[in-house]
Formats: sequence, structure tokens, C-alpha cells
Amino acid sequence: MPEFSLISAPPLAGYDETLGGIRLRAPEGLAIVSIALPLGGEAAAEKAVKSAYGAALPEMGQSVLAGDARLVRLGVDQAFVIFDHTEPNAEGVVAGKLKDKAYTTDQTDVWVGLEISGAGCREALERICPLDLHPDAFAVNQAARTVMEHLGVLIIRTGEAAYLLLSASSSAGTFQHALHQSMKNVS
Amino acid sequence: MIIHHPLLGPRDAAEFVYLGDASLIDRPDWQAEDAAQAFHAYGYLRDNPAGAHQELWYHEQGDRSWLVVTRDTTTHEITQVELARDVARVRGRDK
Amino acid sequence: MSQDYRIGGGQVDRTREITFRFNGKAMQGHPGDTLASALLANGQKLVGRSFKYHRPRGVFTSGSEEPNALVQLRSGAHQEPNTRATTVELFEGLSATSQNHRGPLEWDLMAVTDLMSPFLSAGFYYKTFMWPRAFWEKFYEPVIRSSAGLGRLSMQNDPDQYDKGFLHCDLLVVGAGPSGLMAALTAARSGARVILADEDFAPGGRLNAETLELGGMAGADWAAQVVAELVDMPNVRLMTRTTVYGAYDHGIYGALERCTDHLAESGGKPRQILWRIYSKRAVLAAGATERPIAFGNNDRPGVMMAGAVRAYVNRFGVTPGHHVAVFTNNDDGWRTAKDLTDKGVEVVAVIDSRDKPAVCEVPGARHVRGAAVMDTVGRKGIKSITLTDGQVIPVDCLAVSGGWNPNVHLTCHQRGRPEWRDDLQAFVPGGALPPGMAVAGAANGQMTLAAALAEGQAQAKAQLEALDHTVANVELLQAEDEPREAAAFWHVKDSKKRAWVDQQNDVTVKDVKLANREGFRSVELLKRYTTLGMATDQGKTSNIAGLAILAEEAGKTIPEVGTTIFRPPYTPVPMGALGGRARGKEFRPYRLTPSHKWAEENGATFVEVGNWLRAQWFVRDGEKGWRDSVDREVEMTRNSVGICDVTTLGKIDIQGRDAAEFLNKVYANGFAKLPVGKVRYGLMLREDGIAYDDGTTARMGENHFVMTTTTANAVVVFRRLEFARQCLWPNLDVHLISTTDGWAQFAVAGPNSRKLLQKVVDKEHDLSNEAFPFMACGEVMVCGGMPARLFRISFSGEMAYEIAVPARYGNSMMDVLMEAGREFDAVPYGTEALGVMRIEKGHAAGNELNGQTTAHNLGMGRMVSQKKECIGNVLSQRPEMVREDAVKLMGFKPVNPAEPLIAGMHFINRNAVANMDNDQGWMTSVAYSPSLGHSIGLGFVKSGDTRKGEILRAVSPVHGREVLVEVVSAHFIDPEGERLRA
Repeated sequence: MPEFSLISAPPLAGYDETLGGIRLRAPEGLAIVSIALPLGGEAAAEKAVKSAYGAALPEMGQSVLAGDARLVRLGVDQAFVIFDHTEPNAEGVVAGKLKDKAYTTDQTDVWVGLEISGAGCREALERICPLDLHPDAFAVNQAARTVMEHLGVLIIRTGEAAYLLLSASSSAGTFQHALHQSMKNVS
Repeated sequence: MIIHHPLLGPRDAAEFVYLGDASLIDRPDWQAEDAAQAFHAYGYLRDNPAGAHQELWYHEQGDRSWLVVTRDTTTHEITQVELARDVARVRGRDK
Repeated sequence: MSQDYRIGGGQVDRTREITFRFNGKAMQGHPGDTLASALLANGQKLVGRSFKYHRPRGVFTSGSEEPNALVQLRSGAHQEPNTRATTVELFEGLSATSQNHRGPLEWDLMAVTDLMSPFLSAGFYYKTFMWPRAFWEKFYEPVIRSSAGLGRLSMQNDPDQYDKGFLHCDLLVVGAGPSGLMAALTAARSGARVILADEDFAPGGRLNAETLELGGMAGADWAAQVVAELVDMPNVRLMTRTTVYGAYDHGIYGALERCTDHLAESGGKPRQILWRIYSKRAVLAAGATERPIAFGNNDRPGVMMAGAVRAYVNRFGVTPGHHVAVFTNNDDGWRTAKDLTDKGVEVVAVIDSRDKPAVCEVPGARHVRGAAVMDTVGRKGIKSITLTDGQVIPVDCLAVSGGWNPNVHLTCHQRGRPEWRDDLQAFVPGGALPPGMAVAGAANGQMTLAAALAEGQAQAKAQLEALDHTVANVELLQAEDEPREAAAFWHVKDSKKRAWVDQQNDVTVKDVKLANREGFRSVELLKRYTTLGMATDQGKTSNIAGLAILAEEAGKTIPEVGTTIFRPPYTPVPMGALGGRARGKEFRPYRLTPSHKWAEENGATFVEVGNWLRAQWFVRDGEKGWRDSVDREVEMTRNSVGICDVTTLGKIDIQGRDAAEFLNKVYANGFAKLPVGKVRYGLMLREDGIAYDDGTTARMGENHFVMTTTTANAVVVFRRLEFARQCLWPNLDVHLISTTDGWAQFAVAGPNSRKLLQKVVDKEHDLSNEAFPFMACGEVMVCGGMPARLFRISFSGEMAYEIAVPARYGNSMMDVLMEAGREFDAVPYGTEALGVMRIEKGHAAGNELNGQTTAHNLGMGRMVSQKKECIGNVLSQRPEMVREDAVKLMGFKPVNPAEPLIAGMHFINRNAVANMDNDQGWMTSVAYSPSLGHSIGLGFVKSGDTRKGEILRAVSPVHGREVLVEVVSAHFIDPEGERLRA
């Protein structure tokens, strides 16, 4: 037995609040790994992604659910794999699946996630999100990076009235406050 | 202002950071005879047109792409938005 | 008080009564009233005092253009000055007070100012009160300021909350009058996403204020019917109490929604919301504003706009007087006479400046043709009027109509220049409108109801077609379409008495003429010299008369004189709404380090570093001041081991086949040959050769590097790297992603650092100096298989490591390190101790990399490679930047060790005068060095590298201090670096 052990304590762990029918919750055990497509090796990398996840890397601004993983295209040569995984070796897991066809970086602890859902959640997001989230303009599985209350946020529409928002983990307090306040203001 | 990102569609300018004249792509050859002079021009000399202006914007709160935006400085009308990387390649930056 | 002026009809809810207070006096009104209509119903004619002359003033209009009826609403911290009684919705318990008087409103002591008016004409403060000179600041200005002005701030924090938000639509319709409703209905039935915004709480615009009919239906009823349809449509957002105040680039509009201003309490919800509306297209249907005519004493309470009188009678069931006269230069004024008599209110006279037959039958009223009102009588309310023909007519209300001005304001917010239309005697939208905007209805000069409806529909249709949207047909109902003739008649020239042009700013006809005589002949100068059109109403009722009089005086036409244009906001926007949520702690985001909780529990004082909160020092029992803590942290670190959370340094993960080549280009020094498993210090230059950031970069693999940046520059460095990657060298295979927040990183520094880490790092990793020497790096396991990164780097000058674990384990890692360090008396240290140790070691930081210094200045000139392409190396070699006598980074110690140093001190040669001609450089960073027992400093001094041992004066004229210092090496501690490599 090692003399010391480390305890995981991600920001907002266990946070779950419902206000006026809108639920805001910090999902647990979400791992995030970025994939960079090598210059000139894009096709091979995309092929590796497809054979690893059974789904093609989506277009920019889109995400796709592939088994227990969600692939999110963030840039011309960049994507995220978001999946349930608690061990601190998420990067190795993805790298192993991609067989060195893409560069991978662990992003799990770079971000903190908040899931907002419920009938009025779009109204709450209207207070801080500059994007048009109208169902016709931002369909289920669409994804975008934008800025809310001075924070960079990756927003993914995960359901009819459900969004997953990721922002920098160091400013988790500000991020949670921004969403909580929005819920409060519309509830 | 709204910038129509070539891959992401219309986005509020608040997501972007402005740099300036797109001539900053045309970095001189460091080994040229007149490198000092050329870098001086590159670093300090800018056209300041009243009208169409090609300029660099960075989608910092977005996909992190650098864009070349053609904007009329008198009306703010934006007539073209391109990925700077594509522009740089067209302009012959081969590294 | 009773509602003596309440008459029948109107849209107020008479089944309910609201009690409110004005200047403490209880009054009654009904839901649906504005404060102004309720005050008028109670016979309260006098509602305030004017800005400059303290003239008694009453309600003048029925809308947001109101210049006079400005009141203070609510009390205590909620007090809000300068609210327009004409737009304040009545609520139970409302309390308002009048403004700008000393003593009671009826007996304002400052009314004496009015007698001094000959001395207070336009621009008086440029001409009078000049002598003696010292009196201006000490006496005249304070007196003038306290006597002039409008309401008073509460001087307390605003207790209300505000919010902001973002809305998107295909078509934004500004104004819910007839043309706006028609435009919105057309677009809504077509299935477009529509936002319809109106500043009023009751949509309908003038339909609520007039007796006009549509297809046989009362206008107000039609409006209510349309609104009911729109409200139920999912593609429509109807926003009442919402002012679209500005038209910005690319179809973006600013709007202020007043959410709870009509309620006694906000209930913890935002009082107002500032919306940013992204519209694909917009229809401006902002209506028109009636303008007055200037004549002697035209500012008395009871003198009102004719259209406003109609609004009070028709919408609110209130008559502003029992004996009303109408003074008009156009057909529209006659409507007021007709509507009043229809309601049984006595109209004593209609005075038409035009010599033409009666426009309509007004039973019981004298029709005076081709005449004008010259003067009025009545100190606190009008009692009689005197006409140009000498007649004196007793009245208690005078309704004035000088014609209507289209509300072109938003058309001017970009490049629009209104154009003059002779037939309307008014400016209409002109020039380049904001892209995507069309104008409809009265705002576009369509002055009949039928024309307004038709244009509302047509503009909506055109806008949808431009979006390739299908258009549904909406039936146009029969409505009034009689053209109404207006005359160019702006002021009554025969008036000898003061005639007000701008009531809010107390600008009279005489002032406008004076401005012209004194040479202020352009409209812009007229405005600034006389203040015409300034303040909260922005001259909505006064601008045109001002221009007309100026034109007349200058012998020009109005279009020749031109008009001032308009900027946002259309009506005032409270600072609180502009601030939104960004107040107090929410002013900006805050970032916490992974071990923040541990630090909080262990006596840390925090300091803001950018958005980060970092532990500055950790206080222990018995320590009396921060220096005690910092000195201890430094000493214990140097003697044994200290631990500091350095997560805030920027971390960038760099991967790719060309990553090494890329680093070689962005750093001034070489990186191509850095071996895997090694770290190197790197210096970044701007293209102009100035040093801008530094840090260490570790090669984790052949194609994998981890770069660190300074805390302050993390974002900027990333941005510039992306620029280099995409714009300068687009064909390199290199990929960047920030991992700053992903890794909790701790400096473990001091002679016992290795021993401490050996207890934490799993045994299979050999941390001996041979296996893991200075500047080594690698991936390791800690605490039994947890992944970590270990770097042997040192900012303190001690044998030191930085160890990184995934951030979610950071707080725990701090615990573990402290626990493992217990036997060595390990100490946590904060940014102050970190700063002291880096100064002792002579490391440059932000104070030295201040955007003005070069590698040459920093003593790192030789690091700038000239053998490779890299950013900044060409311009860094400019002659002026590599001068031999350039300033060099050196250390400084006081000759008398007891004397402290001050950052910012300038160096002067010993026998020279302390002035800038003799300046030798400056001190950048200072600290008390516990290791040396005296103050030390870093700084730049000319030819510093050749001046070791020289004694200089360090002077701070700001502090009045001077210290003799000796120039020494910047490396106060371990100059040979033996500790680093131990």
C-alpha cells in the first residue's frame, strides 16, 4: 500500500439544483479527451475515429453520440471525445483506440460541466448565451463554443430541452453562479 | 457586429479578438538582403483605407481560427470572410 | 383629493382604485393610468420646477418625449430621479415627489432665479460670473450647480437587480401602433419569427389615444384583437414596456425592458433587462411626436400638446381642463377640439394660425382665424390667454398643435441623414438607413391611418421577401385617409414675452436668436451653446422649432440649416441596466487554484492575479504582519522545503511532427535539439524585438511538448501561437490546446525537496540527481499509480521540482505533499515569498518584462539566435536596441543595509543632479531578503554589466526618498547555480 493516496474532488461535484422546473446539475465522471487531426493525416485519423467509435467525426458545429461517447467537432482539425470514465487515464484510453492516428490530450480537468434541462431552460440560457438556441436554429446534437458572462463555454444540445455546457474548471464558481442566476431570474 | 464565420455561420463579434491589417500574414523573408527594412515595413507601416479593409480577427471564444475579414471601414459592411490559413497558403506561405 | 377631472370612457379599469402619493398627498387613480393621467385626474396641474429658471411646470405630453413632468419616484435607496410621469404606470402605493425646488413646490424659494433671467441667457456661464477669477470654482459654480439641475440621486447603492439577454428574430418590429401591429401581424401569420416591442404598457400606439376606426371597429379594439392573436402565436414575442433604444451594426438592436417598474416591489427579480436583439430584418414603426409652437409664457402648467390632451381624454378618461382652448397651425389640432366636445368638455376657442374655414364643427367654441396666442397668465396654472388680436380668453387648459415630427431617431444611429419634406413641414428618414431596416407609418411620414396600415403591411412583406420567406396576406381594413394640411408656423413673432423652445433646458426663442447673433450658426453649435435638445428628452419636442427659428434668423430654409442627428439611446437607459449583473463580486469571473480550499483552511491571504485568486502568504499564530509570514516562508523553504501552488502559469500542450520546428520559430532561443525528457527555458519576443513572455517548455515525447507561460500572458501567448500556426507557417503539422486548468501544479523547492518527493512519487521512479538531474522532466506515478508529471525546474534558485497531477486531485495533492513534508517541516508559501525568492535569484518577471525591454536589456541578448528564423530576431538587432550603453538588468543593494528600497526609484550618478537628463535607469522590483538580512532590488541601469561595485543614488522624488545603492549581480543567491543542480 502506498503511504499516501489522492482523493478526487472536481469543482461542483454533487451540485444538483432545480428552480422553477429547470434543473441544473454537474454530471459526474465525465472524461474529455481532445483529438487533433495530423496535417495530411486527416483521412487516416477520421478513419481511425470511425473504426474506434462506429461513427464518423461530425461536421463543424455538430456532435454525434457513438455508444457511450459523444464526438464533438470543435475545429477544422480538432474534436473532443466526451465519455463516462472516472479513472485518470482517459487520454490513454482514447489514444489506444485511435492507434496513434491522431494526437490526443486529456481535457477532463480543464473543464467543468453543467447540464441544464427542463421546459424553461432555453429561457434561462437566453440571459447569458448570445447564440440562437431556437429549436430550428440549434438542433439536438448541435454544438458551439461561445462566451457567456465573460467565460468561454462549449454548449451542446443533448435533448429536446437539455443542454450540456462546459467551461473552464478554474472559474467553476462564476460559471455555476451565472447559470443559477439565470434560472432564478426566469423562474 | 456580426461576423459570418465561413464554417460556423453568423457569430457576434464579442466572440472574436481583433488584430489588424491582414498584411501581417505576409511576413518577410528573414534571410533577404533587405530583411531589416522589410521587417520594419511589416511591423510598422499600414494602409488606412476608408473603404474595404482586409483584417485579421481571431475566433478566440469559438473554434480558435484566425479569419481574414473584408470590412468597409466607413460602413462596417463585411463582404468576405475567409480562413486565414487558406489565405496564407494562397499567398504562398509554404511552411 | 378627488378625481375632479375624471370623465367617462377610456381604457382604465374603473372597478379598481389605486392610492398613490404625490409630495406626500394621497390621491387616487385606476389601473391603466400613468402617473401623469392620475395627477391630471386629481387636478394636480403643477408637477415640477424647470431646470434653470425654476418656472412652475405641468404635464406637457402623454409619452416618453415629456420635457417637464419629471419626478422622483420611490424613496430611500430605490429613489429614482427624472422619471417621466407620462410613462410611469400607476401602481398601488406609488410615491412620487416633484424636483428642483427649495421649500414647497408651490413656493419654491429658487423661483427668484426667474427674475434674474436677463443675466442667465444662453451661454451665460461663458460670459458672466468671471470675476474675481477664484470665485468661479469656490462660489459661482457650486451655487449654479445646486440651483440648476433636475432630480437627486439617492447616494446609496442601487438595491435593484438588472439582467441582460440575447434574442433572435427574423423580423423586429419597433413600435406597436397601427403600422407596427400590421407589420407584425403580416410577418407572424407568414410564420416568421417576430419580435414586436413597444415602450408603452398598452400596445396600440395612437390607436389608444384617438377615436379612429378600422372597418367600423374602434381602433383600440382592433389593436387589442391583433395583440390577442399575436400573444398566442409561438413564433411571436410581444414585448411591452420595452424601448428599442439603439440600432447597431448588422441588424443588432438594443432594447430595455422594464420588468417590474410597474410593480410596488420587484420580488427579487430583475427590475429591467437590457436585451441585445439580433434581427435579420427590422421595421421601424416608431410613430411621430407632436411639436409645440413657441409664444409668450407658453410653459405654464395647463399648456399642453393637443395630441396629449386627446390621449388623456380618450385613453385615460381624464380631461386636463374644464375650459379648454386649442391653438393649432394644422388640421390635426381640430381633432382635439372635436374629441373634447364629443366628451362634453367645454372648448372655448379654436385659434388657427391659418386664415381658413373651420376644419370641423366645434359646438360652443369661438373659431379665431389667422390669429395666434401671444401670451398667457397664471402663475401655477394657466388662467387666460391673450391673442394677437388682443382678445383675452379665460381658460384652464391650452392645447397646442404645431404639427407632427416622424420619429426618425433610430434611422440615424448609423449613417442616416433625415430629409426635409415640405408637404409635412417635417424631417423624414433619409440617407443610408441601418442595413436591414425599413420604416413604416408615421415614422416614415405616412400621416393617415390608412396609409400607416398599408405601409406597415408592405414593409413587412418586402422584408420577408428579402429573406426568401413566404408572405401571408392580411386584409387591410377601411380607415381614415384624409390628408391633413400643416402650415410652417413655429413661433409667434408678435410675442414680447419669453417664449420657450426647449422647456426642459429653459431655452427660449431669444436664446436661439442670440446664438445666431453671436455666430453659433450651425445646428451643432446652436445645440451646444444653448443646450437646446440636450438632457433626458433629447429635444424630442423642441429641436425642430429651434432649427426653424435659427433658419429664419439666418435667412435660410430649414433643409439648408439641416438637422442634428441622433445617437443611441432613444430614451435614457439606467446605468444599472448597462451594468447588468456585473456588480460587486460579479464584476468579472474569478478563478481558483486547485488547492484553494486547502489554502483557505490553512491561513492563506489571497491576492488577485488577473482573474485568479492566489495564496499570497499563510499566516501562523503569533505573526504580527505579512512580513513575518513571508520571511518565515522564504527561510523555511531555503532551509528545508516549501510548497507553492503554481497552477496559474499557462500550460499549452503542443503536438505534431513539426512541433519542435514550430517552437524554434516562436522562441528566440533554440528548441529544435531539446532532447526528450528535458526542459528548457524559453524567451519569446514580439516581432519588434521586445521581450514579452518567458517560461519553460518540456519535451515529453518526440512530437509532444508542454509549454508554460507566465500567468498574465497565458491567453495572449496562446493567441499568438495560433497566429503563427495558422497565418505564418500554415503547413507545419502542429496542434495546440490549453491545459492550464487541467493540471494542478506545485513547486516543491528547497534542499529537502527530493526527499519529500521520494515519499510521494512511486518507488519505480529514480529521482536521484544522476537519474533526474536539473532540467529533467517526465511522466511519473504518484501515490500508488496516479499519473503525474514531474519537472526539475526552479524559480526560487533552490533544488526544486514542479509536480503536476490532474486538477481534481490538486487539493488532495497539497495535503499529501504537506503530510509527506511534515518530517522536514515543510511550509506552504504564497506569491509574496515566491516573489522574494525570484528577486533573490535574479529571475525576471512581469516588472522586468514590461513591454519596453529587450533580451539585450535582460542580459539574455546572446540567447536570441540569428541562425534560425524566429519571431523578433530581425528587428531585435536594430542599432538602437543593441547599444553598448543600453540598460542592463542588475542587482542593487543599499549601502546602509538598514535602508529599504522602493520600486520605481531612478538611478542617478553620485555627483549628478537628480533630473531626467542624468537618468541612469530604474528599479523594477524590490524585496526584503530574509536570506541576506537587508533590502535588495532588481533594476535596469545603463551599461550595468560594466558597473558592478559602483555606488549610485536611487531617487524617488514621488516619495521624497533617496538611498545610496551598490550595483551588484542580479543573482543575490547562489550565483553559480550549485543548489539547483544538487
